[in-house]
Amino acid sequence: MPFPDVKLANRPLHFLYLCDCSGSMAASGKMQALNQAIRQSLPGMAAVARDNPEARVLVRAVRFADHAAWHIETPTPVDQLEWRDLQAGGITAMGEALKLVAAALQTPPMEVRALPPVLVLISDGQPTDDFAAGLEALLRVPWAQKAVRLAIALGHDADLEVLQRFIGTEPATAGRSPRRPLQASNATSLAQYIQWASTAVVGAASMPASRVSETPLEPAVGNIPLPDLPPTVLDPTDDVGPLVW
Amino acid sequence: MSWILPEGASLGFEGLAAPLRIVRGLGGGTQGQVYEVDLEGERLALKWYLPACIARDGGLERRLIASIRATAPNEDFLWPIALLRASPASRPLIRIRDESFGYLMPLRPPAYVGACEHAAGRLAIGLRQVLRACFGLADAFHSLHLAGLCYKDVSLGNLFLEPDSGGILICDNDNVAVDGADHGAVLGTPGFMAPEVLLGQARPGADSDLFSLAVLLFRLLTRHDPLKGQMELAIRCLDEPARRRLCGEDPVFIFDPVDDRNRPDPIEHAAALITWPIYPRPLQALFEQTFCRGMKQPSRRALTGQWKQELARTLDRRAFCPACGQENFQASGGPALCWSCGAPLPEPTTLLLPHGSVVAAPDNELHAHHFDALAGEDLRRPLARVVAHPQDPRRLGLRNLSTVAWSAETPDGRVQAVQPGESCSLAALTRIQSPAGPIAVQRPTRPSPAA
Ligand SMILES: Nc1ncnc2c1ncn2[C@@H]1O[C@H](COP(=O)(O)OP(=O)(O)O)[C@@H](O)[C@H]1O
Ligand SMILES: [Mg+2]
Repeated sequence: MPFPDVKLANRPLHFLYLCDCSGSMAASGKMQALNQAIRQSLPGMAAVARDNPEARVLVRAVRFADHAAWHIETPTPVDQLEWRDLQAGGITAMGEALKLVAAALQTPPMEVRALPPVLVLISDGQPTDDFAAGLEALLRVPWAQKAVRLAIALGHDADLEVLQRFIGTEPATAGRSPRRPLQASNATSLAQYIQWASTAVVGAASMPASRVSETPLEPAVGNIPLPDLPPTVLDPTDDVGPLVW
Repeated sequence: MSWILPEGASLGFEGLAAPLRIVRGLGGGTQGQVYEVDLEGERLALKWYLPACIARDGGLERRLIASIRATAPNEDFLWPIALLRASPASRPLIRIRDESFGYLMPLRPPAYVGACEHAAGRLAIGLRQVLRACFGLADAFHSLHLAGLCYKDVSLGNLFLEPDSGGILICDNDNVAVDGADHGAVLGTPGFMAPEVLLGQARPGADSDLFSLAVLLFRLLTRHDPLKGQMELAIRCLDEPARRRLCGEDPVFIFDPVDDRNRPDPIEHAAALITWPIYPRPLQALFEQTFCRGMKQPSRRALTGQWKQELARTLDRRAFCPACGQENFQASGGPALCWSCGAPLPEPTTLLLPHGSVVAAPDNELHAHHFDALAGEDLRRPLARVVAHPQDPRRLGLRNLSTVAWSAETPDGRVQAVQPGESCSLAALTRIQSPAGPIAVQRPTRPSPAA
C-alpha cells in the first residue's frame, strides 16, 4: 500500500533579481550576457528547488533604467519561469528599484512565515537617482534586513561603493574575509556568479548544508552562512580571449 | 555546471594501471563534484574535491586512506575504493590551478533515488518499503558503530532509496572516522545535528550519530521534522539563529509526552499527525527516548540495535485492514483500529516462532533471527514468505525460500513435505518443521467478522 499522501510543510523562499537595464548595458553585449546567464541558470535553480522540499522557491525580477518596474511581478515557481529578455536603454534608477522591492517585502504582501529572501542586485554603473533614500526604505523592512543580499558588478564602471552598501558591511570573521560585491569582468564569470547565487545560495537559504568547524555556527551578522564561491574553473575557451568589459 | 574534469576524456591517475574515462558529470555539492567514470569497462563513481574543501579539512586524505584500508561495514555504503591523484601527464587536463584529489566508489544504480524525493512526497513507495529502508539504515549504522566508526554527517542528502524493495545506499562516506579519535572538519547538517554539536559543546561522534539517525528515521517514517511544531510556527524568518534556537538551545520533540509546547499544528504539520499513529507504541517509544531524555543526555539515546529490533518487529506485525486494505502495524493484544479508515482490525493468523511471531499477511517474511536468539536481525536472506493464493487471495500460504525441505503437519496428524520453492496452505496446517526450527500456525481465537 502506498505511503500516505501527506505533504511536507514548507516555507516560501523569495528570490529577487534587481537588474540594471541602463543604456550602458547595451555596450559589449552585457545585456545579452545577463539574459543568457539568467536563462542558463534556471534548470540548475529548479534542480536545487526540487532537492529542497522544505522551501517553495519563488522568483521575481525588477528592471531599472529611467524608472524601475517589475519585469516579473508575480512570485513564480522556478520550474514555471520563462525569462523574457531585458532591453537596455535609459539611466540608472537604482534607488527607485530598491523602493519597489521594499514595498514588495512588506507583510502583506509577504507571508507571515518564510525563509530568508535572497536579493541579487546586478549593475554596471552608478545610480542616477537617490540611492540612499531607496536603501534606507529597503532596510527599514524587516524581511529586507533578514534577506541574503548579493551584488554583482559588471565591468569596471560599476559603483562598488554603492553595491557594498547594498550588501552591507560585515566585519571579517575568523577565516573569512569580509563580503564584497562580486566582480564579473566577462560573460563567463557573470554566468558563474548568477549560477552560484541561484543554486548554492538558494540551497543555503532553504535547507542548511553540512557544516564544517571553520564556519562559525553563529554567524556574526549575515543570518545565512554563504557557501564558498565557485572555484575558478579554467575555461578551455579562455584561449580565444573572452570579452572583457 | 562547470565541470572540473573534462567529460569524455581519459585521464591517467597515480597508482591506477589503466586510464579512467570521465563518462559524465553527475552532480556537484559543497565539497566537490561527482562523475560517472569507466575503468576498463567497469562503471564507477569518482568524487573530485574542490581545493577549498581540502584546505579546510586537513584530515581528509588520512581518513580516506584509513577507510579504504578498513573496507565498507556492509554493502549499503558507497564506500571509497581508492584515492586518486592525477598523473603528471593528466594534470594539465584538470581545470583548476590548485592541486586536488578524489576517490573512487561504486556507482549508484539508476533504480536508487535521493531520499529527499520521498521527503517531498514525489516517490511512489509503500509503507513496508519505507520501514525496510529504515531497518536498512539502522542496520548500516549498527555495522558502522560496531566497527568503532562514526559517520558524523547523517542527512537526507546522503541517503538513496530503491522504492520497489526499500533498499538503501549511503553516500558521502568521507567524514567517517574512528569514534572519538579524529577531529575531522565536519560538524553535521543543521536539522540533523545533535543539540550538543550544534551548540559547539561536543564534537560529532557515535552518540551524535544516534540523534541524527533518529531524525532521519523520523523524517522517513512521517515526512516531517521531529522538532517542527508550534515553536517553529512562532518563527517568522527561519534563518540560522532561529534554527539554532529551535534545534539547539530549546529543542522540544513534537510528541514529547510531558512537554507540550511544540505540538504539531493540525494544518501546517498534518503529515506528522497523520503518520505518527501508524507506528506501534514500542517504536514510538524509541523516538521518545532519543528526543526527550536523550535530547540532553547523549548516552540515553536509542541504540542502533534497539532500532533494528523494533523496526524488524514492526514489519513482523504488518497486517491489512479488511475494510480499506491499508497496511497496519499495531502491536498484538487489545482491540485495534485501522489508522487509515478507523475500522476494527480482526485478530490475524500468526506464525509463532522460537523467537518472535509474524503475522500471516502477504509478503511478510521469516528470517534466521526468528529462530536463533543469537542471530542479529537481518532481512537480506528470508527463509520463508507468506504468499496469497493466485486464484483466491484470501487463502494464504507459506513459501519455502530455504534450500531444504520442510515437513508440514495437518491437524489430523498427517505430514507432508514442502520442497524449496513450494508453498503450503496455512489454513490446512498446525505446524511446520523446518531445519531452522518449528513454525506453529496460530489462528484467531474469535473468528474475524470477515470470515
Ligand atoms: N556513488 C555515487 N553514484 C552516483 N551519484 C553520486 C554518487 N555519490 C554522489 N553522487 C551524486 O553526486 C552529487 C554530489 O554528491 P555529494 O558527494 O553529496 O556532494 P557534496 O558532499 O559536495 O554535497 C549528488 O547529486 C549525488 O547524488
Ligand atoms: Mg553531500
